[in-house]
Amino acid sequence: MPARVSKVRRTRAAEQSGVHYPRWFWPAFASPAIAWLLVFFLLPLYAVLSIAFGTVDPIFRTPLPVWQPWWWTTSHVVEGLDKTFGLFQQVYLRTFWYVLLASAICLVLGYAVAYYVARHGGRRKTLLLVLLVSPLWISYLMRMLAWVNLLDREGYVNRILTFLHVVPQPVGWLEGRGITVILGLVYGYIPYMILPLYAFLDRIEGSLLESGRDLGADPLSTFVRVTLPLSRPAILAGLVIVSLPMFGDYFTNTMLSGSPSTTMVGNLIDDSINTAGQGPEAAVRILILMVMLLIPIGYYLRSTARAAQAR
Amino acid sequence: MRRSAGAAVALPSLSAILAACTRPGETRNPEQVDLLVPRPDRPVTLPMNGEPIPTDAPIESGAELQIFNWVDYVWKATVRRFVEENSEHDISFSAVTTFNNMEEAVSKMQAGEIEADVVFPTIDAVPRLAVAGLLQPLNHELIPNLERNVWSAYQNPYYDQQWRYTVPYTVYTTGISYRRDVISDSQIYGMANPWEILWDPAHRDRVGVYDSYRDTIQTALLKGGITDINTGDQGDLDLARDELLSMLDLVNPRATINGSYKRLPQGEFDVHLSWSGDIAAGWGYVPEYTRDYYENLGYWFPEDRVGPVDNDCIAIPANAPHPRLAHEFINFLLDFQNAMDNFSWVGYQPPMNDAQPALLTQTEGLYSQISGWAEPAEYVLPWMESAVVRQSDFDVGYRQAPLSPESDERWNDVWQQFKTGVKAGE
Repeated sequence: MPARVSKVRRTRAAEQSGVHYPRWFWPAFASPAIAWLLVFFLLPLYAVLSIAFGTVDPIFRTPLPVWQPWWWTTSHVVEGLDKTFGLFQQVYLRTFWYVLLASAICLVLGYAVAYYVARHGGRRKTLLLVLLVSPLWISYLMRMLAWVNLLDREGYVNRILTFLHVVPQPVGWLEGRGITVILGLVYGYIPYMILPLYAFLDRIEGSLLESGRDLGADPLSTFVRVTLPLSRPAILAGLVIVSLPMFGDYFTNTMLSGSPSTTMVGNLIDDSINTAGQGPEAAVRILILMVMLLIPIGYYLRSTARAAQAR
Repeated sequence: MRRSAGAAVALPSLSAILAACTRPGETRNPEQVDLLVPRPDRPVTLPMNGEPIPTDAPIESGAELQIFNWVDYVWKATVRRFVEENSEHDISFSAVTTFNNMEEAVSKMQAGEIEADVVFPTIDAVPRLAVAGLLQPLNHELIPNLERNVWSAYQNPYYDQQWRYTVPYTVYTTGISYRRDVISDSQIYGMANPWEILWDPAHRDRVGVYDSYRDTIQTALLKGGITDINTGDQGDLDLARDELLSMLDLVNPRATINGSYKRLPQGEFDVHLSWSGDIAAGWGYVPEYTRDYYENLGYWFPEDRVGPVDNDCIAIPANAPHPRLAHEFINFLLDFQNAMDNFSWVGYQPPMNDAQPALLTQTEGLYSQISGWAEPAEYVLPWMESAVVRQSDFDVGYRQAPLSPESDERWNDVWQQFKTGVKAGE
C-alpha cells in the first residue's frame, strides 16, 4: 500500500511542477548496467557455451570454440552429464556436504558475532566491524598460505593443542582431511556472512524487542520469536553469499589438503582446464555447476520476493 | 601460485566469424598429427618454420631479456651474470614470466599473449609448438657450446632431429624421495619392488605423488610391472587405475607439485614420488641449514638404472623480440661453469660432458658457497648419489614420449578416477 501512495504522490508532484519526462528517460538509467551485463556476463557465457559445444584443436589440443550454433556438437555435453551422474557423483555429493557444513558453521558463528556487535557493540561498534573485516584486506590466497604454516605438524595450532593436552600428539591437519578443508572454507568466507547479518540486525528496532519483553517473553523466546524471524532475509542472503563461491572454490582444497579424498567440484574444473584436450569438458562442468546453483538462487529470489510482498 | 587463468579464449572479430566457413578443427593437415608423437625408435624431424637468424646479426642493443619459464627453474644470479657479461650491449633483465604447467604455457603462447626471448618447454610440447609455427629454428653457429659441451645424445635428439628448435636444459630421473629419519636407505633399497613403498599403509597420510597424470600413472604402471610408460593399451591402464585406487585406500595420498623439493624436507611427507632434481634441491628447504637436517633427505632410483629418465629443453619463440640475444643466452647456459652454477641452485643437472658423476657428490656448488647461512652442500648430497644422472641412463631407461590423442584420453580417464578420490568398491 505505501508504495502505491508514494507513486501517486510523485506523479502529482511532477504534474504540479509541470516537468514531463520522455518515456525512455527512466529506463535509460538501466543502460550502463545492461551494457555491463552484456559485455561481462552474456558474452563470456556464450564463450563458455561455444567451448562446451565446440571442439578441440588437433595439434594443440586446446579448446576451439564454435561460435555458430548450427555447428555445435553435443558429445561433450552428453559425456559431461554422464560423468556427473556416474564417475563424479561422489565428488558432487562431497562438495555439497562440505558446503552445507561450512555454511552452517559460518551461520552459527557469524550470527553470534554479528548479534554481539549489533546489540552490545556500543561505542566500539565501528572498531569491532573494522577488526572483523580486516582479514578481507589480505588476499584469500595469502590467508590460506598462513593457515598452511599454522596447521603444520610443528605449527602453532598443534603446539597450543599439545601444550593444553587437548591432543596427545600433533594432529596432521594438512594430511588430506575433509575437516581441514571445511574449516578453511569457514575461515575464508565467514566475513561475508557477518556483514549482511550485522547490517540487518543493527536495523532491528529496539522497541520491537522491548515490546516482546513487555508482553512477557523471556530473553530466549524474544530472540526466537522476534529477532530470529526478523533476520530471516539476512540469514538467507548470507547463506547465498557464502555458499555460492564455496561451490566453485578449488584452492582451499589444493592448499590445505591436496588429497583426492577431498576433491571438490572446483578441483575437477581446474584439473580439466589445465589438461590438454579437456577444454570442452571443463566448460561443460562449469555449465552444470551453474545450473545446479540456479536452484538455491531461485529459492532465495522467491523467498525475498514473498517477504517483500508480505511487507 | 598454482594455475592461473587456464585456457585462453580469444574472442574473434566479426570478420573472423564471417570468414569461418568450415567447421573449426577440420582445417588441420592430418599428416602433421603424426609428427606430434615421436618415440626414441621413431624420431621426428620437425618442419622448418622459415630460416634461422643470420650469424652476423648484431646483439640487440638496449634489449630487456624476456624469459618464459617454470617457477624456480633458473637461478636469477646466473641470469644477472649474463646481463653483466653483455653490459656493452646495454641489456637488462627484470623478472622471469612464469607458468605453472605446460598447458598454461602452450595456450598462452598460442594466444599470442607472451612475447618471450626464450621458453623452457618439456619434450611433449616441443613438436606441438614447432608444427604450429610458434618456435623459430636455431642458428647452430651461434650456439657452439652445444657441440662442445653437451652429451652426444643431444647432438641429434629423437624428438627434434638435427636440434632444429631446441637445446637440452636439464636431465632427470623419476624415483622416490624419502625421509631417512623414517625410512632407512637399506629398508627401501632392500625391497623387492621399492615402488610399493608409496602404497605402504605404514606411511598413511604421509605419502605424496605428483599432481601430474603422466608421472603418477607411470608409477602405478611400473609398480604393477608394466615398463611401457607410453602405453595406450586399455588392459595396462586398467591395471594402473586399480593400483591407484588401492593407493587411495591404503595411504590417502596427496597430489602435489612442491611436495618433494619443499614439503618433504620441511617434514610434511615421509615419502614422495620425485624427480631427481627436486630432491637434489631439497636441502635448500630444510627447517635449519645443517648437515643433520640435510641427512634426513634420501632418494631411491633402481640400482640397475632401469627407470624413467628424461630431459627438458630451451627454445626460442617465433615472436621473440630479441632472437640474437636469445641465442647468446642459450649459448651462455650451455657453458660448463654457468650450467653448473645454475645447477647448484635449481637442483636439476645439465647434460654436460665435464660434469663427472663421481665429482658431483664431492663438489660444493656456487649457491652453497655463497649461502652464508647454510652449512656446505654438494651439487648432489653424497648419500643420494642415485640422484646423479648419467648419460648411460638414457640407453637403458624409460623415456616419456607424447601420447596419441586416443591414448591420452585413456590416461586422462584413469587420472580422473584417481582424482575423484572414490576408493575401489565404494
